[in-house]
Amino acid sequence: MIEFKNVSKQYENNLALDKLNLTIPTQDFFVLVGPSGSGKTTTLKMLNRLIEPTDGNIYFDDKRIIDYDLKQLRLQMGYVLQNIALFPNLNIQENIAIQAESLGWPRKDRIARARHLLSQVDLDPDQYATRMPSELSGGEQQRVGIIRALAIKPKVVLMDEPFSALDPISRKQLQDLVLRLHRELDMTFIFVTHDMHEALRLGQHIAVMRLGHIQQIGTGEEIMQHPANDFVRGFFQNEYTPQPATIQTLLDAGYGQATTATATLAADAPISELAAALKQATPVVVTTPQGPRALSTPDLLDYLAAKEAD
Amino acid sequence: MQAIIHILKTQGDDIVRSIGQHIGLSLISLLIAAVIAIPLAILLMNHKRSANVMLQITSVLQTIPSLALLGILIPIVGIGTVPSIIALVIYAVMPIFQNTYAGLTTIDPNLEEAATAFGLSRRMKLFRIELPLAMPMIVSGIRIAMVLIIGTATLAALIGAGGLGTYILLGIETNNNALLIIGAVLSAILALVFGAGIDWLGKLSFKKAGLVVLTLIVLIGGFAGYRKIASPTTDITIAGKMGSEPEILINMYKDLIEHDHPNMQVTTKANFGGTSFLFKALKSGSIDIYPEFTGTVLESLVTGQKSASHNPQTTYQVAKRALKSQDQMAYLKPMQYQNGYDLAVTKQFAKKYKLKTISDLTAVEGQIHAGFDPDFYQLKDGYPGLSKTYGLKFASAKTMEPSIRYKAIANGKVNLVDGYTTDPEIQEYHLVVLKDDKGFFPPYQGAPLMTEKLLTDHPELRTTLNKLAGKVSTTDMQKMNYKVTVKHEKAATVAREYLKSHGLLD
Repeated sequence: MIEFKNVSKQYENNLALDKLNLTIPTQDFFVLVGPSGSGKTTTLKMLNRLIEPTDGNIYFDDKRIIDYDLKQLRLQMGYVLQNIALFPNLNIQENIAIQAESLGWPRKDRIARARHLLSQVDLDPDQYATRMPSELSGGEQQRVGIIRALAIKPKVVLMDEPFSALDPISRKQLQDLVLRLHRELDMTFIFVTHDMHEALRLGQHIAVMRLGHIQQIGTGEEIMQHPANDFVRGFFQNEYTPQPATIQTLLDAGYGQATTATATLAADAPISELAAALKQATPVVVTTPQGPRALSTPDLLDYLAAKEAD
Repeated sequence: MQAIIHILKTQGDDIVRSIGQHIGLSLISLLIAAVIAIPLAILLMNHKRSANVMLQITSVLQTIPSLALLGILIPIVGIGTVPSIIALVIYAVMPIFQNTYAGLTTIDPNLEEAATAFGLSRRMKLFRIELPLAMPMIVSGIRIAMVLIIGTATLAALIGAGGLGTYILLGIETNNNALLIIGAVLSAILALVFGAGIDWLGKLSFKKAGLVVLTLIVLIGGFAGYRKIASPTTDITIAGKMGSEPEILINMYKDLIEHDHPNMQVTTKANFGGTSFLFKALKSGSIDIYPEFTGTVLESLVTGQKSASHNPQTTYQVAKRALKSQDQMAYLKPMQYQNGYDLAVTKQFAKKYKLKTISDLTAVEGQIHAGFDPDFYQLKDGYPGLSKTYGLKFASAKTMEPSIRYKAIANGKVNLVDGYTTDPEIQEYHLVVLKDDKGFFPPYQGAPLMTEKLLTDHPELRTTLNKLAGKVSTTDMQKMNYKVTVKHEKAATVAREYLKSHGLLD
């Protein structure tokens, strides 16, 4: 378990973190999300002490992290960087095993571990183990970046916007990958992103941050349904899945003829039902508060065409 | 071109040796510079201010002209290999330091952050990440330094450290373009070869590169060590002309050299022969040093320099210059005593014919039966020149060994002999020296004569042998000669006694 207690970080004339309190359960997939300058990366880098707080304490398994031997602490925390940062002078298996090498693992064990991890992320060890980082695509490189963080089985894996530089397809694949790895491994994942969609996709718990303060912590669902304030609501707005269009939207757009025929559909039915009905017979009569309206196939096509043109 | 081929054919061994010296000098300097500059840059990579100060210092050192730097170093560490290496190291430190520092401080901060976050030790971070990433920069720094060193090392010849510069300097001095080209082209080739070697080294892994460097160190060190231990390969042969005086002198040389340089072994060859023989032996390399007189040099060994002066100083200087330019010989400073030729007759004979000067002999030339040292009989500054100058024609002139000569006059077999002013026999046999009233005999001062090459290979000999410069008065010499010739003391003992009593040997 990781706990932040009243943690502040004061830069010269900028308060990056203001009395942060945060608890991250063991084996959680915890996402820190927020716009730039929110303090999310600062919070993450305090865990492996790349950044030291100016006030407050951080506890890792009930012991202050400043009381850990620095090297020991860092060896328990895997780290994935935004720009991947594979060492260009080392080949893939050497990159993966760099911490193991630092711990003095025998060469044979290091290679075995690297190859095992490569195959775990669908990179053929025979093909990739001895290649140089520059020979890999961005997505492949970050896969290696991720398994490099897992090499010595740390308790915690810290990921600092690891997918922000990748194309959407690679990003999706890697999101699936980290979810799978989190399921398979007994590790706490702490993940920083500015992308709400990514946060919702990955996080078991999400902390929304802004200007050095935590706005809300909860599961994705909790935050979506009960945003704590306007900022959180605004931040998530784009993420509301658009409601499927109903027949009413078609009517609102001015389609449909007044009719006296008997209605077979309600106005709040999805457009798909209208389409299905139109296949049987045209026009289809819909009940509206203003009385029945007849909708024909050309009405639907025109509406869809206009919508597409927007 | 033909001249070049000829030189390559005849002096091939020397050229190969010079290349060896050049490589040795360059590699040692480069290694020392790298060993200083790279750790220094590592030490200062996280101390920007100190690093800047260091960059300033190395840049200032770089601006000192190489000749000035050598000039500064000579009074401190003398001449030869040591000051050359110091100067080369000073020049090479800057490019290596600068590049290493730049290479280490321009590493992508993300990689630094990754290495830190992974909990890598300082050591592992340095050797596994930082140095390999900075390696291309370091290698290019070493390359620059190497080119600088190989170029500057040609100046080492100026202060007796040898190398290819010897040929360049000799070429300039003697206006010999072939030599100049050989020196310059070989230096350029060396720079190319070394450049390729360094590039190759830079591509190897740490372990392999370290192994190669280590091998080089062992090879150079081993070679240097071998030369030191096996230095009785630096056998030096010192020969002397006939007589006790040269034998005493060569024993002095031997004592001084072996005392100052335990690694050298001196063989003396006393009574080795006459002047021209010794000179030829010196030229051919069968002997290394022999004591020669300034006057003899001008009279017999060099051309176009007839005894121009009766000033001993001038005579020495003229002789020295002529030997250098005509025969590539080095002539060290002379001793104090003057040992001119003379002509001597018995007291009775002088009294009988009222002989005081050499001119007086003309009156009795028909009755003179002379006994001459073979040298004197042949050399221009001996009998041939004398008879010309004074218009003398003796009834007979026989050559005989110097020691027999005086006995011959004592026994009445001859009535006139040549001799040296320092000969003890003059007193022993009650002889009279006739005055050289026409000033025919040039000033004679003894000084060590050797090839320039010997002095280039062993510049330390100069200091050692110059200890005798200005020492040994005419009386000293006469006394020593007396001990050896008359008292039959060993020349070696007499020589050592003199050196000890004059504080030249402890």
